[in-house]
Amino acid sequence: MAAKCILKLYVTGQTPNSQKAIKNLKKVLAMELKGAYTLEVIDVLKNPQLAEEDKILATPTLTKVLPPPVRKIIGDLSSIDKVLLGLDLTVEKEMAKTV
Amino acid sequence: MAKKLTKVASGIPGFDEISHGGVPKGRTTLASGTSGSGKTVFSAQFLYKGVKEYGENGVFVTFEETPVDIIKNTNSFGWDIGKLIKENKWAFVDASPDEADNLEVGTYDLGAFLARIEYAITKVKAKRVVIDSASALFTHFQDPGIIRRELYRLTYRLKQLKVTCIMTAERPVEDGQISRYGVEEFVSDNVILLHNRLTEQGERERTIEILKFRGSSHDSQEAALIVGDPGVSLYPRPKPKLTGKGFSEKISTGIKGLDKLFHGGVYKNSTTLITGASGCGKTVTTLHFIMEGAKQRENSLLIEFEESPGQLYRNAASFGWDLKKHVDDGTVQLVCHYPEDLKAEQYLKIIQDLVIANKIKRLVLDSLSALQRIYDERKFRQFVIGLNAFLKMHDVTSYLTNTTSQLLGITAITETHLSTATDNIIILKYVELGGQMRRLLSVLKQRGSMHDKELTEFEVSSEGVQTIGPFKGIENLMSGSARRIQVSFGDEEQQEQAERDFIGEAVAGRI
Repeated sequence: MAAKCILKLYVTGQTPNSQKAIKNLKKVLAMELKGAYTLEVIDVLKNPQLAEEDKILATPTLTKVLPPPVRKIIGDLSSIDKVLLGLDLTVEKEMAKTV
Repeated sequence: MAKKLTKVASGIPGFDEISHGGVPKGRTTLASGTSGSGKTVFSAQFLYKGVKEYGENGVFVTFEETPVDIIKNTNSFGWDIGKLIKENKWAFVDASPDEADNLEVGTYDLGAFLARIEYAITKVKAKRVVIDSASALFTHFQDPGIIRRELYRLTYRLKQLKVTCIMTAERPVEDGQISRYGVEEFVSDNVILLHNRLTEQGERERTIEILKFRGSSHDSQEAALIVGDPGVSLYPRPKPKLTGKGFSEKISTGIKGLDKLFHGGVYKNSTTLITGASGCGKTVTTLHFIMEGAKQRENSLLIEFEESPGQLYRNAASFGWDLKKHVDDGTVQLVCHYPEDLKAEQYLKIIQDLVIANKIKRLVLDSLSALQRIYDERKFRQFVIGLNAFLKMHDVTSYLTNTTSQLLGITAITETHLSTATDNIIILKYVELGGQMRRLLSVLKQRGSMHDKELTEFEVSSEGVQTIGPFKGIENLMSGSARRIQVSFGDEEQQEQAERDFIGEAVAGRI
């Protein structure tokens, strides 16, 4: 079981990309992390200073704050395997599956 | 008539001149250049001066250097960006590289980037924005199609926000495409190019050029860009205009015998080239000219590349002239430099400023050959032509000296590009005669007037230059080894031809 995971997802209002990213991410989280995470969804239009602090350029951007290393995944997260790889949270069976 | 585009003052000395008023207001202007061409400092100054001098607050979006580095690096210009940030007049959008890896999964846009810029603009009520550089976005992200679209969206949004923006772009090589990724095609109607070339002399030369300002006029020539203290300055190339008022009045050279050869002195606002070997009397001839100016209450400017002020004062004192007094009371402006100290454009700027500020009527530049030694031919010609045009426009009568390496005789020459720029040519030289070194002076050319063509002997005494009289009955003087002849000088035609040949040689500085 992975350690508690802290995630932030930066989105731009209600754009299709943002909606898709939220949906895809929830799917991944439900499947793989089973509640062992906190997720903060940040709308850059409402909180641009948070995007400035975290140096976010693209939306959607998913950042994994904890556990280290810090990772950023850009895009609508349309590939679950790649998201898992990118978050560096994959367990062995996932690795085996993608290889 | 088409609607005129308004411009905002750039805060970069010289830029408003070549851009006919500044940076297009409310638009994005692309500043593209190779690495080291001065893009960052150019755009930073636009922003900094915008705040300090024009009350227009600014947002700096940085992709390469961190805000801390920019603040530190511009400290040397005496800028305090940190203070402006505290006063809420300047904001950074920090897009400099960070540690985290970026992985792209699916499609995205730059919504966060745009939101950050807009937030910063609102926060400091910015009127100016710098994005340094647009090219970096293409290296941050994998999909150039998305970046193009988003940059287009950004410039559109900036226009709506009515800010004036300079966006820099990387140029892979000089004289190649305008910018990497063709940023200019979708970003901007206004393109500035910054060049960084190696001259034939092996020096780095930075220049700037306005490629296009849609719907607005600008100069098409390159201007030198110099990063110094404090900040960036441009030195636009002189625009030679033949606006000289034409010759009518003559002024004294301060040497009686020379005035006589010129049939009453040199024309006002003419340019005289004095050519001769080292030590044959050029400096004293120019001093006569300046001291005569002082007598007539005409201000002079003396640009000296060969001697220090101390040497000059001593030199003048040996002829009984108190040059220092005139320098101190402002009748004579003295500029002493190693020619290598500054670039041609900077010298030109110094001269222009001093001439205008001090109502200079007489100018001596000693020597032109010192500059010729360090500039390539094109630059040197530009300098001379630019200087001349400026001096004529301001009714300045000038002496330019040319030091030749040969003490005696004549050597072959080819280039003659100075001949069109100078109105008069005076030759000073040594001749060997009867086992003695004698001094010879000759007026080779005087545009617009008759002059005596005699080869005149002169000496330099404690009174300065004294003409003695023509060398008569002697031939081969110009070759340096004269001999006496029975008949007087050859026929007119021959002499004319000899003179023409000689002018060519003289101006090429080989006599």
